[in-house]
Amino acid sequence: MNREENSDSIPFPTDLFFEIFSRLPAKSIGKFCCVSKQWRSMLHSPDFTDLFFTKSSARPRLLFGLEQDAYGERFFFSSPQPNSSSLDFHTKFGYIAYADSVHHILTLGSGNMKWRNVQCPFTHEPFHERICINGREYYLAQPDGYPCPYMIVCFDVRSEEFKFIDTERFCNMCTKLVNYKGKLGAVNYDSGMRNLKLRIWVLEDVEKQEWSNFVYTLPENEVLDSCDLSVVGVTASGEIVLSKQFTCKPFYVFYFNPERNTLQRVEIHGNHQVFENRNRVDVFVDHVEDLKFDIMRAATSISPPEQMSTSTRKDHQNEKAITEEVANGSLYKEVDKSCKVISGRLSRGSGCLKGTAITAVVVAAAGAVAAVVLSSNPEATTELINLVDSYVNVIITALKN
Amino acid sequence: MSSNMIMLKSSDGASFEIEEAAARKSKIIANMIEVECVDEDKAIPLQNVTGNILALVIEYCNKHIVDDDDDVATEEASEEEEEAKKKKVDDWEAEFMNSMSLETMFELLLAANYLNIKSLIDLVCQTIANNIKDKTPEEVRKIFSIENDFTPEEEEEIRKENAWAFG
Repeated sequence: MNREENSDSIPFPTDLFFEIFSRLPAKSIGKFCCVSKQWRSMLHSPDFTDLFFTKSSARPRLLFGLEQDAYGERFFFSSPQPNSSSLDFHTKFGYIAYADSVHHILTLGSGNMKWRNVQCPFTHEPFHERICINGREYYLAQPDGYPCPYMIVCFDVRSEEFKFIDTERFCNMCTKLVNYKGKLGAVNYDSGMRNLKLRIWVLEDVEKQEWSNFVYTLPENEVLDSCDLSVVGVTASGEIVLSKQFTCKPFYVFYFNPERNTLQRVEIHGNHQVFENRNRVDVFVDHVEDLKFDIMRAATSISPPEQMSTSTRKDHQNEKAITEEVANGSLYKEVDKSCKVISGRLSRGSGCLKGTAITAVVVAAAGAVAAVVLSSNPEATTELINLVDSYVNVIITALKN
Repeated sequence: MSSNMIMLKSSDGASFEIEEAAARKSKIIANMIEVECVDEDKAIPLQNVTGNILALVIEYCNKHIVDDDDDVATEEASEEEEEAKKKKVDDWEAEFMNSMSLETMFELLLAANYLNIKSLIDLVCQTIANNIKDKTPEEVRKIFSIENDFTPEEEEEIRKENAWAFG
């Protein structure tokens, strides 16, 4: 393992150095930045971060988030997709408090950042789970005073407008929103006797609100029958991923390929104490790491949002300044720097993790990059900062969408 | 398939005979063959590769040329057969790399780079990456013989900046 004796005689070309290090997880890169000054500058160079992102995109991973009830801690792991067997531990962070559902918005990277309030024309009770596709954030909600029990709320990050999408009443408590080949999909999972069906509705046109729908019957599998599976997402290659909702041994993830009608079962070997007890598992598909998005730096200057009632005149001026900046395009020039963060409902209940993790969005239009996190609770902000600070990868997962 | 044999000569004077088809895995050698600058009676001198490393390169090329032939013969192979074959290659590669020290891997990587054998570069880089991914900065400094040129304060600052990576 030690190359001390002849390392001086072997010149090591930079391109080979890049070839090796672009294959490492982002976490290793973070560690190796403090090896030496030369390494730090090489690992920060645009040539390297570009290559890293290219390589990382070619090997999307499944991201697992586990919540340990006793301590309220969350652990993150990832494994290769789809033929995963071992898990890499990423990080953990603490409990995020429950709060009411007032929305705040924050633009990252514009110097002194302040939280703003976002107006939603309808009162609604949002579900925790959110999905971001093409600069729009979607989530299920129960609107107040509507006859229909569930609707989908669409928040456009560019225009900062809310829109309700009629779901033709197909949505229920268990409906899972997915990115179906770049469109919003809603999946219902019917577990009948030996006949497991996936019903998928795809929103073909956001403006016209046109849905198409498909039904797939899963091939038989003995494990499928026995457990509490749920749909966790659809990979970029169109495979529908199902996973158990709680840790157990053995722990399985299923990949259903609708075109080939194949069902692949993959056992996940979690060698961590959090897998020993029954803990909730959230799984995210197509997780890609990116070193370029420096959310850690952006997050250091976030201060907690002020309560609605204490909103001052000064805040409104800030809001105006940001809006004008967006309007004249100057903000869009700072591509990597300009990110919006809304802080939303972060709850302790089930699905909370998804609420926090999936709420980051990239708006690629006009060259701007915007990240969005919804929150309602000023107190949650410190935790939110810890969250983004300690775990950039969760945000990055969603940024890819 | 041509069964022409080619001679390769390592930097320390060892000669190796290799099938032309296997040698063509190296873009450099394939190029030499294309432009006909390979004399059948003379060995190709490889000044940057020692005999023990060249032996590994040749072992790799021989293994993979056989697999490439299989691909041609079973073009209509079913998906299952394809997968089985891929697994066989993966297993062989894992075994091949497993027997190597990290130091040998670096030498093999330099040789693969010099001879321009893309798939071998990929394999070695991935194996090295897997080997070092969980190492501490201190261990990595030792492996790469790097002197820590940060002051303790600077290192502390960078560690703080990247605290998420040390959890």
